[in-house]
Amino acid sequence: MNDTQLVLTIFAAMSLGTPLIFATVGEIITERAGILNLGVQGIMLVGAVSGFWATFETGSLILGVVVAMIAGAVFSLIHAFASITLRVSQIVSGLALTLFGTGLASFLGKAGSDPLVGEPARETFDPMLTSGIADWPVIGPLVFGHDIMVYVAWVVAGAASYYVFHTRMGLSLRAVGEDPASAESAGVNVAWVRYAHVMAGGALAGLGGAYFSLALVPTWQDDPIGAAGWIAIALVILASWRPWRAVFAAYLFGAATRIQFTLQTLGEPWSDIPSTILAMLPFVLAIVAMLALTSGKRARLLGAPAALAIPYFREQR
Amino acid sequence: MTARRLIVEPRGLASIQLTLLIPLLAVFAALIVGGVFLALTGDNPFSVYRHMVDTAFGSSRGLSETLISATPLILTGLAAAVAFKMLVWNIGAEGQFLLGAIFSSGMAIAMGDGAPAVVVVPVVVIAGGIGGALWASISAIPRVYLGVNEIITTLMLNFIALNLMNYLIFGSSSPWRDPAVSTFPSGRPIPDSGRLPEFFNRLDIGFIIAAVLALVAWFLIGKTRWGFEVQVVGDSPDTARYAGIGVPRKILGVFLLSGLFAGLAGGLYVAGPVGALDPRSLDLGLGFTGIIVAALARLNPVAVIPVGILMGALNNSGPSLQSIGVPPEIVIMLQGAILIFAVGGEFFIANRLRRPEKAPAGVAGLEAA
Amino acid sequence: MTEASERGSLAVELRNVDKAFYGVKANEDVSFELRRGEVHALLGENGAGKSTLCSILAGLYRPDAGEMLVDGSPVHFKSPKDAFAAGIGMVYQHFRLVPNLTVAENLALGHPDLGVRIDEKQLQAEAAELGESYGLPIDPKARVWQLSVGEQQRVEILKLLYRQAKVLILDEPTAVLTPQEGQQLFKTMRQMADEGRSVIFVSHKLHEVKQVSDRVTVLRGGRNVGGVATADAEPRDLARMMVGRDLELPTRDEAAGFGPPVLIVRDLRVLSDRGLEAVRGINFEVRAGEVLGIAGVSGNGQRELAYGMVGLRTPAGGQVLIGDDDVTSTDVLNHIRKGVAYVPQSRLGMGLAPGLATDDNLALKAFRDPPFSQGPRLVRSAFRDRGEELIAQYDIRGVRPGLPIRLLSGGNLQKALIAREVELKPKVLIARSPTRGLDVGATEAVRNLVLRERERGTAVLLISEDLDELLALSDRLVVMYEGQIVGEISADDATAERLGLLMAGHGDGPG
Repeated sequence: MNDTQLVLTIFAAMSLGTPLIFATVGEIITERAGILNLGVQGIMLVGAVSGFWATFETGSLILGVVVAMIAGAVFSLIHAFASITLRVSQIVSGLALTLFGTGLASFLGKAGSDPLVGEPARETFDPMLTSGIADWPVIGPLVFGHDIMVYVAWVVAGAASYYVFHTRMGLSLRAVGEDPASAESAGVNVAWVRYAHVMAGGALAGLGGAYFSLALVPTWQDDPIGAAGWIAIALVILASWRPWRAVFAAYLFGAATRIQFTLQTLGEPWSDIPSTILAMLPFVLAIVAMLALTSGKRARLLGAPAALAIPYFREQR
Repeated sequence: MTARRLIVEPRGLASIQLTLLIPLLAVFAALIVGGVFLALTGDNPFSVYRHMVDTAFGSSRGLSETLISATPLILTGLAAAVAFKMLVWNIGAEGQFLLGAIFSSGMAIAMGDGAPAVVVVPVVVIAGGIGGALWASISAIPRVYLGVNEIITTLMLNFIALNLMNYLIFGSSSPWRDPAVSTFPSGRPIPDSGRLPEFFNRLDIGFIIAAVLALVAWFLIGKTRWGFEVQVVGDSPDTARYAGIGVPRKILGVFLLSGLFAGLAGGLYVAGPVGALDPRSLDLGLGFTGIIVAALARLNPVAVIPVGILMGALNNSGPSLQSIGVPPEIVIMLQGAILIFAVGGEFFIANRLRRPEKAPAGVAGLEAA
Repeated sequence: MTEASERGSLAVELRNVDKAFYGVKANEDVSFELRRGEVHALLGENGAGKSTLCSILAGLYRPDAGEMLVDGSPVHFKSPKDAFAAGIGMVYQHFRLVPNLTVAENLALGHPDLGVRIDEKQLQAEAAELGESYGLPIDPKARVWQLSVGEQQRVEILKLLYRQAKVLILDEPTAVLTPQEGQQLFKTMRQMADEGRSVIFVSHKLHEVKQVSDRVTVLRGGRNVGGVATADAEPRDLARMMVGRDLELPTRDEAAGFGPPVLIVRDLRVLSDRGLEAVRGINFEVRAGEVLGIAGVSGNGQRELAYGMVGLRTPAGGQVLIGDDDVTSTDVLNHIRKGVAYVPQSRLGMGLAPGLATDDNLALKAFRDPPFSQGPRLVRSAFRDRGEELIAQYDIRGVRPGLPIRLLSGGNLQKALIAREVELKPKVLIARSPTRGLDVGATEAVRNLVLRERERGTAVLLISEDLDELLALSDRLVVMYEGQIVGEISADDATAERLGLLMAGHGDGPG
């Protein structure tokens, strides 16, 4: 029963969705502070390569994760500085980060006398339980059969939701994204809140990248994450800026990504659908979601921070 | 009091020297960052850069290849420049480029060898532009009439376009696929009458077309009534509405023009150096590089030409680095770094820093009334 | 209570404070003393530096030079947070509330003493209780955007009280209130002062200052020109100190009889951004050579009325006629062509393109026709020539060729905008608060421009909250309240009191 295509597909969708949860929650927190970070793709790649490298060198998965998160946070600092301190276009700055990160990750993977490219990961994230309750029908694999990061993603999404809506810092965060001038005059340090959350978002994106290189695609290759960073930006809207909703949005896109493999195994006529057409599915889904959710005045009702992507000048007269 | 922080003040209008100097400094700073990474991974940055300059400009062959690489970048740069100037965030030049390539190659294959080149070439090139504009319209229409943010839709359409091209070549036996080659799927070569004439080594007239279009864009924005309206909309949409300017139509027009330029880039590229709908030669991120070109050119259509040549030189020199054992991805990294420093430089063009001690008299035309 | 907090002792002291913005001095060598338990009025014309001084006290701006003492010890505020910590808080003219958060959340925002977790229930209870005790009732669960302007002001004051502010700065608080709401606010101010708090009351209205304050400090041109106990001050002396010369009302020639009706509005209905009916069936006529003033507290449909008349928003019902032409439901361009000129409220938000040059802005409506355009081509030299002409003619200062217009001062921006509009030789001029935020000189220039249009035979519609402006310019006044006209007064019978009652909805008309 646990070998049915349905169970296997849902299981895979959850795995594929896990890095998306990290990156999406990270981007939600960033955007809640009023900063649009289009650098997610680049940050994830930097996280992927640095996490892979750290585990490769030390054999420690935990160190790999920690290094990836630090790398993501530090790398996103570039965007924070450009958009918060220099107040340049957040859109262009984010794209710059993605281009730089893409080049940097490829370069680091190939550079040096003993390049990483083609090397398998020394350690990978594996399912925590392989028998016992993990053998229970359906819920066994789907609820208990995953590696630890799947559960960490749930905790991260839940904790982020609690943080945003029920804590003092979360209140400051929401205020900064809605109306930085008012937040500032209420005594909130807008620049600090923005820096902190851009970097926290970067750390989560880095973590998402590392999940690719240490779990989903555990051999270093040039472009291990596909378009995950871009998808995460679209998922923010689907999750309507609420972190816990990112879990469902991410699993949905995990399923959309997985569907081409599933159809292949179902035999004719399903396997006749070209994989190139099925590969469009997540992107088509993202556009449809955009159209359905943000047409007309719906975007505002959805919860988009009012000051998103608008530079804030403190001593403006 | 301890050391006082610098005061940031907006500049009225930066001098021409400064607007030239800052992009140059951005390139220089990116080269330093790239050099640090090269040195860390055991290469001599000076010899690597030397090698790149030699490849790009050291021979007439190298120069013509650089200009070939520059041609699509000038056009995708224009695509980004006209759109960004009006705060239309079309980051789908990549996809519009591919659609241009699909339309142009399709048109050339459909027309076959029957008609003379004078007829076929313009039709093929224009078909590319239309393809790009149509692809842009998928994002433009919802943006203009429904307020749907174009950033995500244009981005997603890039990946759909890429998969569409892959489908035409790898996933089906479409007219674009070469039936003669069965071992590895590839694009059907387009007939000679659809190819752009070459005049300097492999360099074809596409480069001239791109340069002329840059001048046309400059004239259109700076010297026509339509361009004036576009500038007002780009500066303040509310004021434009107030002045009786039809804002939605202006945004739509700019968006489609942007797509047109990106589509022409794809069209000229398949009808020029590539000669077929070949995914391996077209999926190069030329649309994204166009954003770098536009940013470094400070959205000035004329400046897009030299900046496009610079980026073309980088793209041209990249693959040759493998012969000296350096990953060609250093080029993407350098381009990304250039963009980071170019946007950062915008701050110094828009603002001046001064020490708080003495206030300059009558800064930037401000006077008490 | 410590000795320092005794009534009458100094709460805050400023010594020789300077502050400049981009080279323009907003405060120069200002010294200022605030005692405990007093309501201290800061009096001055628009642009005298009152707001800047308050923003320095509240930690929003840092002084370029000078000293600031709280309870006798020097302080250096880096942000409003530091000012809060020292017990100083401010209610800004433009409220600083986060519209999408609830009242309770706004009170909690940035509060230093709250724990990590926020207990929404408890917060709401505290907010409601605090409101009751100061005569400032509010619904703590409401989101701020749902509140009226007067209610938002209450939230601002409660925000300060919730943080136990000892010094409350109220920047022109009555500007957004009806005179009756103002009276309630004065009671709250007195209550706060009686508790030993200090209140700084910023105003340019003498009668209010006279009524509520204990002492007055007058600012002019960024300098402190004197302070007195209110009881000892004659209004006329204060006025002279404030303006620097005797007040001169603009001379308005008596109308030589008005022409035929030019702007005719019949049963006009216009929706707000949120789709509610903001203009609910308005009728009026403005004759050639007449200035009709529309008074009212902001947010009563004035914006939508203006939008409906100039084509920026299609009316939901009714008619707008320019002479014999029905322009209802036609686009903005048609309104411009039919002779409607419009001076919007926020100059840089709508009306001027801040990043474009002055020449371009001066041609913003005429650029479609010769000499600015020839066919699809733009004639750049025509822009330049015409620009130079208008800059000289209307005395627009600070313009440099090629520089964006946003660098001009408020007064010069407004002169440029009005110059462009009246150069179209309009039949109808619609102006919203045209002198808002301008200094004395610019105010006079703008008023004269409006009166010149009146003499030329233009039908002028003046929509404003500023009673002084309305009384100085209008031939006839109507009052707008909740989207309707609730009363009409001829200029000769108009008093601030009667207008005030009407503005508060105590009218004799409908509504």
